[in-house]
Amino acid sequence: MSAAEQSLILRAQKGDHDAFALLVDEHQRYIYNLALRVMKDENEALDLAQETFVRAWTALPNFKGQSQFRTWLYRIVTNLCYNRLPNLRRSLIDFGDDMMENISETDPTFNNPAHEFESNETKAYLHQAIDGLDENYRLLITLRYQNELSYEEIASTLNLPLGTVKTGIFRAKAQLRKALAISEDSWITA
Amino acid sequence: MDNRLTPQQEHMLQENVIIEDALKNYPLAPMPRSITTNVMARIQKDFRPVLITWNDFALSLVIVLCVGALFFTVQSLPPIMLAKLRIQGILLYQGFQMNARWLVPTLLFGLAAFLSALTIPFLQNQFKS
Repeated sequence: MSAAEQSLILRAQKGDHDAFALLVDEHQRYIYNLALRVMKDENEALDLAQETFVRAWTALPNFKGQSQFRTWLYRIVTNLCYNRLPNLRRSLIDFGDDMMENISETDPTFNNPAHEFESNETKAYLHQAIDGLDENYRLLITLRYQNELSYEEIASTLNLPLGTVKTGIFRAKAQLRKALAISEDSWITA
Repeated sequence: MDNRLTPQQEHMLQENVIIEDALKNYPLAPMPRSITTNVMARIQKDFRPVLITWNDFALSLVIVLCVGALFFTVQSLPPIMLAKLRIQGILLYQGFQMNARWLVPTLLFGLAAFLSALTIPFLQNQFKS
């Protein structure tokens, strides 16, 4: 958390509306994006994002700064998503918490011919495949790759065991790999 | 030892790179409009709840003074007057029991209906928003 943000939070905690408006401006895009990726509905995502900030304002005096402000906001928005999608939390817990050791994340900047020649079409196809994943996978993927949280931060935000988070992301990637294989087959046969 | 990757391993590695790249470049959804104004409007409407206000304090002070005054008045009354008051109270209660049994429930029901009606504008606003 930057010093500027910390000072904005302190001012907002004392009731400064302008400071809170600046915090809303700064974080709304990520909150809206997370809500949209999970709910897949623009209006519902806007509504959830607004509700998140209203609740954040009410609960702001209780924010002690033990976690980052943005992860605190993500916790509020995911709780709101749980309320709207009652099966979401159950489906996340159902991943189980078998620790997946050393999930390697390949560095995409690694000089690999596949990366160099990867077409925009493949990327667009994979983005569509991500959109088509189940909501529990979309939530994990968004928190990990768009909101750039670590596995530990995701586990703490969603109040889930670390193993469950790792398993969920691993399975999401497996589904994407399957989608990629299907697309490659279709290109070969075309 | 030969550390070269088999074609299958290489293919899998390539797939991983492609997937990881797609995930890292998955774009943030653009916001259709800023929500700051709406959020601030809602915040300014619903003020943060305060545990006690000056109005609460003044009201409780008046109630305490009334109760104290009543207590000291009763204490300073002569016993005969207290007995007469008690008799009048019993007579009034009996009068209610005999002649106006409907009055107290009606008053309570009316008060409850009035209080319920007060919530209607609030509920209308809630539905509108």
